[in-house]
Amino acid sequence: MSIPSPLFNCQQATLLLERRADAPLPAKTNAQLWAHLRLCPYCRRYAFQSSFLARQAKAAAEAVVPADLPLPVSLRARLQQLIDTHEAGLQQE
Amino acid sequence: MRTPLIGLEPQQWLARFGDELYRYALGRVAEAGMAEELVQDTFVSALEAQASFRGQASERTWLFVILKRKIIDHYRRQARSPFVPLTLTPEQLPEAEFFRPADGHWREEEYPAPWDGVGDEGRGDVLVEQAEFQHILKSCQERLSPQHLAVFVLRFVEELPAEAICQELGLSPSNYWVIVHRAKLQLRRCLEKNWFQSPPAS
Repeated sequence: MSIPSPLFNCQQATLLLERRADAPLPAKTNAQLWAHLRLCPYCRRYAFQSSFLARQAKAAAEAVVPADLPLPVSLRARLQQLIDTHEAGLQQE
Repeated sequence: MRTPLIGLEPQQWLARFGDELYRYALGRVAEAGMAEELVQDTFVSALEAQASFRGQASERTWLFVILKRKIIDHYRRQARSPFVPLTLTPEQLPEAEFFRPADGHWREEEYPAPWDGVGDEGRGDVLVEQAEFQHILKSCQERLSPQHLAVFVLRFVEELPAEAICQELGLSPSNYWVIVHRAKLQLRRCLEKNWFQSPPAS
C-alpha cells in the first residue's frame, strides 16, 4: 500500500507523525515528513504538543485519583463476603 | 483432596491490595461505579483462578494482571462499534473540521497555537499548575467518542503496543492510526481552548 506524500499536506503529515510513533516509516516518506516539518510551523507545533499529550496521559490518569483514597466501604464489605463464601466453599470440598 | 495453594492468601487481599487496585481502576475509567465493578470482577476471577497461580509473579502482580485484563475487556465492550466509516466524502470526514479537504492544509482557525510552557524548539516542559492541567486533560478525554477513548487510554495510559490494541479492538493498523490521529486532534483542540488560552487565575 503506498502512502500519500506528506510533503504539502498537513493532514497527511500529522497522521504520519502518529504512525511514526508506533512503527518506522519507509525512508522516502520519512524524508518527506522531515521536509514538511522544516517548512511548516503549525505541524511542528502539533508534533511537540501531540507527544506532550502522550507523555502526560498516564500521569494525568493517576494524578486525578487522590493517593490516599480507600476502597469504598460498601464495596469492601461485598468483597469480604465474596472471599468468605468462596473460601468456605473450598474447605467443604 | 485439593492441593494446598502455596503463596496465595485471599483473606489478605483486601487489606494488602484493595485500595491500590481500586485507585488504579478509578484512574482508568470515567466512573467510580465502573471502577468498583472492575475491582469486584477482578476478585471473582482471582478467587476462581487460584489454581492457575504458579508463584512466578508476586501475588500483587498477579492481581494487577487480572485487573488490567478487566480494563481491556471494559474498553473492548465500550468500543464495540467497530464500524469506522472510511467511505464518507472528504468533506464529511472528521478531519475536515481541522484541515481543508481540497489540499489538506490546516484551516486558519485551527492553526495550532503555541502552548506556554510546553517544550518547543528544544526547550523542556515547564508546566505550571500541573494538577489543574491534568484535570482538564482527563475531562477532555471524557468528551471523546467511546472508540477514540478506548484507543487513547489503552495506548497512552495502559501503554499497550499498537498491535495488541488492534487485536483487542478488531482494528486494522490503518484504522487504528486514523483513530489515534482524530483523538489527538480533538484533545489538542480541547486543551488549547480550555487550558492554554485561559489558564486559571492564580
